[in-house]
Amino acid sequence: MLTYILRRLLLMVPTLLGITVVVFVVMAAAPGGISALSLVEGQNLEPQTKKALEDYYNRLYGLDQPAPVQYARWLNSISPVGFAQDDTGALTGWPMLKAPDLGISFRYGRPVMDLIAERLPITLLLNVLSIPLIYVIAIAVGVRAATQRGQAFDTQASVVLLGLWSVPTMLAGVLMIGFLASDQFWQWFPTGGLSRRAALDMPFLPQAEVWWALLALLVLVFLFAAAFMVFAARVGRHPRMLAGLLLGAAGGYAMIQDLDALNSLSSLVGGGVFGALLGAFLARSEWLALRLFVFGSAGILSGVAAAGWLMPAPMIPGFLLDRIWHLVLPVICLSYGGLAFLAKLSRSAVLENLTSDYARTARAKGVNERDVLWRHVFRNSLLPLITVSATLLPSLLAGSVIVEAIFSIEGMGRLAVEAVQTRDRELVLSITLISGLLTLVGYLLADLAYAIVDPRVSYD
Amino acid sequence: MSRHLGWIVSLIVLGVLLLLVMVQVDRQWQRLTGMEDLMREQSQDLRTLRTSLQRLERELAAGDFALGRGERPSADFPAAFERAREATEAPDYAQGDWLVRAFATGLATLTPFVSSDAYAAEVQSYVMESLLQRNPDTLEWEGLLARSWAFSDDGMVLTFRLRPGLRFSDGEALTAHDVAFTFRFVMDERIAAPRSRAYLEKLESVEALDDLTVVFTFAEPYFNALQLAGGLEVLPEHFYSRYLDDPETFNQSRGILLGSGPYRLANPLTWTPDSGRVELERNPRYWGPVDPPFERLVWRVIQNDSARLTTFRNGEIDVYGARPREYARLRDDEALRERAEAHEYMSPTAGYAYVAWNQERDGQPTRFADRRVRLAMSYLTDVARVIDEVMLGYAEPAVSPFSPRSEQHDPQHTPIPYDVERAQALLAEAGYRERNRDGVLVNEAGEPFSFDLVFFQENEDTQRMVLFLRDIYARAGIELRPRPTEWSVMLDLLNRKDFDAITLAWTSGVETDIFQMFHSSQAVAGGDNFINFRHPELDRAIEAARGEVDEEARMALWREAERILYEEQPYTFLMRRQTLAFIDRRIQNLEQTQLGLNLGAIPIEIYVPAERQRYGR
Repeated sequence: MLTYILRRLLLMVPTLLGITVVVFVVMAAAPGGISALSLVEGQNLEPQTKKALEDYYNRLYGLDQPAPVQYARWLNSISPVGFAQDDTGALTGWPMLKAPDLGISFRYGRPVMDLIAERLPITLLLNVLSIPLIYVIAIAVGVRAATQRGQAFDTQASVVLLGLWSVPTMLAGVLMIGFLASDQFWQWFPTGGLSRRAALDMPFLPQAEVWWALLALLVLVFLFAAAFMVFAARVGRHPRMLAGLLLGAAGGYAMIQDLDALNSLSSLVGGGVFGALLGAFLARSEWLALRLFVFGSAGILSGVAAAGWLMPAPMIPGFLLDRIWHLVLPVICLSYGGLAFLAKLSRSAVLENLTSDYARTARAKGVNERDVLWRHVFRNSLLPLITVSATLLPSLLAGSVIVEAIFSIEGMGRLAVEAVQTRDRELVLSITLISGLLTLVGYLLADLAYAIVDPRVSYD
Repeated sequence: MSRHLGWIVSLIVLGVLLLLVMVQVDRQWQRLTGMEDLMREQSQDLRTLRTSLQRLERELAAGDFALGRGERPSADFPAAFERAREATEAPDYAQGDWLVRAFATGLATLTPFVSSDAYAAEVQSYVMESLLQRNPDTLEWEGLLARSWAFSDDGMVLTFRLRPGLRFSDGEALTAHDVAFTFRFVMDERIAAPRSRAYLEKLESVEALDDLTVVFTFAEPYFNALQLAGGLEVLPEHFYSRYLDDPETFNQSRGILLGSGPYRLANPLTWTPDSGRVELERNPRYWGPVDPPFERLVWRVIQNDSARLTTFRNGEIDVYGARPREYARLRDDEALRERAEAHEYMSPTAGYAYVAWNQERDGQPTRFADRRVRLAMSYLTDVARVIDEVMLGYAEPAVSPFSPRSEQHDPQHTPIPYDVERAQALLAEAGYRERNRDGVLVNEAGEPFSFDLVFFQENEDTQRMVLFLRDIYARAGIELRPRPTEWSVMLDLLNRKDFDAITLAWTSGVETDIFQMFHSSQAVAGGDNFINFRHPELDRAIEAARGEVDEEARMALWREAERILYEEQPYTFLMRRQTLAFIDRRIQNLEQTQLGLNLGAIPIEIYVPAERQRYGR
């Protein structure tokens, strides 16, 4: 095992070298190329001035040297083993070990490490929230669809998932902002950014003027949610449907009423009917988890509404709630596509194993269906999910270009795109280097995880 | 496992709660530190106040004063503040509220002289001040930090006398030494300000004679000397001088910004671009006689166009700049009209769009080297229809590089009309005519008249305009091949002068210099005369104008230069675009000045009446 890991680690070095060579060549060979000229952005300057500027940038970044020399210089500066260089790029010694240096970004004029350190936490936050969400929902839906193969749930889920998968993030984000963040429709969420200006002056946790208000809120939310969930779990189908019908109708009515433009009788009735149908449909479901989720969220909402009605004074939401509020739309946008894909993947993986010989043997032995599914089949179905998760690590760093751009979040995705657009060579090379490294590490980890999940796989 | 689940969950919840409370306490601590800083600042102010009061008392007791002696700040109200003072006399004038605007791209840095984008310059204009500024009505120079100024007889030495009692926002006094320091600082090779350094190269030295007198010495006579010296934004020496020993920190900084302007960063050192917003607070120690109305100025970074529009509709930002098509559509939008007023105005600094005809390629003169061909192209370019159909009327035809409202422009020169017959006559004279009845113009050798037009691919309006031009040229038998191009590729083409024709726009100022684009000395590699236009008569006119310090005489020379440009048509001048913006209705006293809308005018003239204020404390 150890030799295997070592071998893989050593193999990474030439792969990474290859990646950087390709990126470097592509950037240097692109029309326009990287030259001091593109840094000068030279309009409205006299030629002497422009020349002076070019010389300045050439001196600073060594852009007038032949491309192979530039590449060698860059390689030397990022490598932990190499020559020492002074400011002009002349070699001053051979100290062997030195601190790797990713260089200075052309556009920002600041060390690349600083830029990445500044942007990374934001991207990490988004991904840490959305990745577990994707996995939990995708596995739940996928396994359920596989066990209910060909039945109503399977077809409904596959239609919805296919629909989700085909909606481009760009469109979804713009529509969400247009409908859920605009005062023309429902202004429930902010249009962008990570916190409101006012939230910066707030305390971190929510605060209320009277001491019992927060407690009352928590208790009410808990009570309502618990009551709704118990109802969803214990009660038979018909009373459930009735409750769903009523809740949905109330919700639909309230939503339309919130809308200034459409506040007519017919649309109010329409909203109510649509909500009622949706509520009844969801409440009718045989899937406990879904019911719990739907009724639980309805319970939380009613709890909040009841608390708001009882509360003597409005409370300060605090920085934390404000941040969460800002993250809702971006996280949904970031999740739904991957969710649909993973759910489809896990469905087919589980399905394949459910009909396999070992599952039939287990059933024949008298193992109950639940244990067959989760102890035998599910474990074996994890393999394709692990393969996909190998790309998780680099995506944690890469961020999402589209979501970050739509919701004005200054994360890694935007940094990378700006770097490419402005031909910021140092930044592009560093980002590709790091994400290449993370991809390779991700594949290595995935390969190791195979061995853990599947005893047949061994590297000795 | 499942037996312990309850315990595990409660333990996790407890841990998370503990963590949250810790963060809460940490935030409180930071806030307390901020308050402490504020109190220290205030007590320092109180101390200065007490000292000056004591000195006054001593002088009073000693009877050591006389009326009319010394420089009294109250006696001469600075003319630059006249408009702002008038605004304060409006019946509904009130201080308070915030002005919130949006940037379409993130800022790299706010540090003065290191930053190069227009957004950073906008923020800096509220924090830094210069010696002079232009009066928005008359466009004359007025003293801001400077009280008076005078040229020496040869126009090479410019002496400024500063106002007494100027202060930076940290309470230190602003003196002539700070002005001299600013020049020294920018000219230091280790500071990453090559752009400003190149601009200030015309100055030989800047010296402070005493606390209130500073002398700018020029290396050569320069027509724009007043702008160069009077527009220099003054850095506080006590704050920035440490970066001369540590230039790296300054060059790589994200926002080291401190000045004497009406607003300041809450902390001049700690701004970071990842917060997605820039926020300035009112400078409590502002020296000016009129306090700025807004409590805070906020800029939010919102890159996505539709998100920006929705945010504006929600009332979270106060200004929304629109493109012509969008503007025309939104003007009819009831909901938007209710809360925002549409403004369309011509900024005197609005640049002009043009098509430039390359006259020499690979050492060979091109077909555009012939004046008749260029003139014919101008006759064929139906600018009025381009403005009508592409810009929806939100532009005016450009005649020359000079703004039609400036003295540089001669009203005799009117836009060249669309005239196919004259164009065809001129082209026939130059040897291009239809020879085999296929509607295509060919020269004597039978080669068809066709050329590439290079343009910037990202701009939709330009794209539409190029397609429109292709159609009207095609009708005259000329083939235009559109070549959409990326910005860096375009710069490369310009540098190598490797193109037939290109469409671009130049920005202009109140007084526009055309040396770079049209003087033959600038036709070298890397010069902005990228069309190889050489005209000795024009060269002489430009040189004479640039060396002429007397305004009357200079304007006559500029008009002479314009005549040559008008006759020669090295560019086909297209249009100047209007600025189109929607502005929240609660903002009052918006008006058009000679410098465009006074939204960004400093000292600030706009305000929000008390009952309509949205943000408060």
